[in-house]
Amino acid sequence: MRTLTARLRTAAWLGWQVESNWADPLVFFIYTVLRPLATSLILAAMYWAVGARATRAGLFPAVYLGNAFHVYVTTVVIGMGWVVVEDREEYETLKYVFTSPIGMFSYLTGRASVKLVLATVSLLLTLGVGWFLVHVRWSWSAVAWGPLLATLVLGLAATLALGFLVAGVGLLLPRAAININEGLAVSLYLLCGVIFPIDLLPHGLQELSLLLPFTWWYEGLRRFTFGHGVSARIGALSNVQLLGALLVTTLAFMLLGYRGYSALERRARQAGRLDQTTMF
Amino acid sequence: MSGPLAASLALNLRATAARTYVRIVGSIREWTWIIGDAVLPNLGMCAFVLLYRTLGAPRSFEALAVFGGILSTYWLNVLWGMGSQFYWEKQQGQLQLYFAAPCSRMAILTGMAIGGILMTTLRSLFGVFMGFVVLGVRVPSFDVGVLALVFTLTMTSLYALGMTLASLFLLYGREAWHLSNALQEPVYFLSGLYFPLRALGALGAAAAGLVPLGLGVDALRQVLMGAHAEGFLPLRAETLILAGFTLAFLVLARAALAYLEGLSKREGRLTQRWQ
Repeated sequence: MRTLTARLRTAAWLGWQVESNWADPLVFFIYTVLRPLATSLILAAMYWAVGARATRAGLFPAVYLGNAFHVYVTTVVIGMGWVVVEDREEYETLKYVFTSPIGMFSYLTGRASVKLVLATVSLLLTLGVGWFLVHVRWSWSAVAWGPLLATLVLGLAATLALGFLVAGVGLLLPRAAININEGLAVSLYLLCGVIFPIDLLPHGLQELSLLLPFTWWYEGLRRFTFGHGVSARIGALSNVQLLGALLVTTLAFMLLGYRGYSALERRARQAGRLDQTTMF
Repeated sequence: MSGPLAASLALNLRATAARTYVRIVGSIREWTWIIGDAVLPNLGMCAFVLLYRTLGAPRSFEALAVFGGILSTYWLNVLWGMGSQFYWEKQQGQLQLYFAAPCSRMAILTGMAIGGILMTTLRSLFGVFMGFVVLGVRVPSFDVGVLALVFTLTMTSLYALGMTLASLFLLYGREAWHLSNALQEPVYFLSGLYFPLRALGALGAAAAGLVPLGLGVDALRQVLMGAHAEGFLPLRAETLILAGFTLAFLVLARAALAYLEGLSKREGRLTQRWQ
């Protein structure tokens, strides 16, 4: 256990150095929060622009909350994919990680932990901007803390699981992995109803959306914070049913993440892809 | 035209044509870039259109978001295909070849810009399809000539800015990459890509004075949507400012390239990788 902790700590420290050593702390902080904050400000400006002409403006706070939490997906999931691409293609150090005693799984977990912290900073700042600038506020006494905490933990577990899967795909693919990474974030933004109810998606996509834990995650976060979500379809379910669906899809993702990553890493070793460089 | 000048012009035109060719062929060869440049920005656009539907906004707002989404593909190309290009070349160890070549670096950048505009226009057709066919956006009849003029000025000013960024990024290492990353969503916001620029008030005016994307998208919306565009400035004024932007950024790019090329050489940064 002590060895594992030391390995994770080392990987996290290394991750922090790689992430941040190109800039001074202030510049790095601004860089870290700029993108997620700008996306939230886009939503706020859309809301301001529509103003009184919006017939369902009351849904905006719930939409804003979903968008704020999507930062975990963009930072952690996509970030874990980038770790593989950067270490292999740009710094050409991935092969050394594989030959070191730390192991790739611990290494990725350590790197992901830094990204989790950075995403949390972005989240808090985004929620702060929402609270003070666009009145995205909730009643603290009305928050269902227990279910909210459970939802938060399950969603983060699903995020990490998907991150491992994306990293595994990155091990196998050449530079195309860059676009797969970016594409996944945007696709999930659309598929999981981050800023709109999944009810607006065409049939087929709606059902696909329900297979993803993030759809349940965002809806759960909204319901347990504001007392309501944005989707009528999911809104018809009880709290227990919603949490149950989140639990089942998260467990499936964790299994998929672990098994999928292991299989992809094995395949990448067999195919001799661990030290390939294709960024020419 | 005197002999040496004509020869120099011919050389630079050939360099421009060659770089345009490389940009076009390179873009077609890499299928994942086609998806990355054509499909992904438009998926984001769909999400913003559906947000307007969620809020129960008037349908004209959906058209605003669609046009912004289409223009976002050009901004991505300016950032990653123009601004960061010298950074990529440096990482791949090819930048020195540009400096060893007898042609002007501006000719190479112009080739990149022309190829980038052509290929991005081809890819933006996916956004047009998503907006008009899938999301059902409609616009009233408009003047094609004015649209072509405003579009051309928007593109020339944007890609001239891209040339300036390329010059600035010549000096940088990883900062260039991070700066391009950081300039995506914040510029979308400051340019009013998914909402009328006038919603930002004074902040929108300040941003419009820095990046031509905001005025470009606002002017295009005014041509296509008329009063529903909720324009920021009169169309004529925006067109003139865009023309001014083109000229200013071209001059700036040339000066910055000359200065930073010299500085990069003195500091030995042109061939420095992994910094």
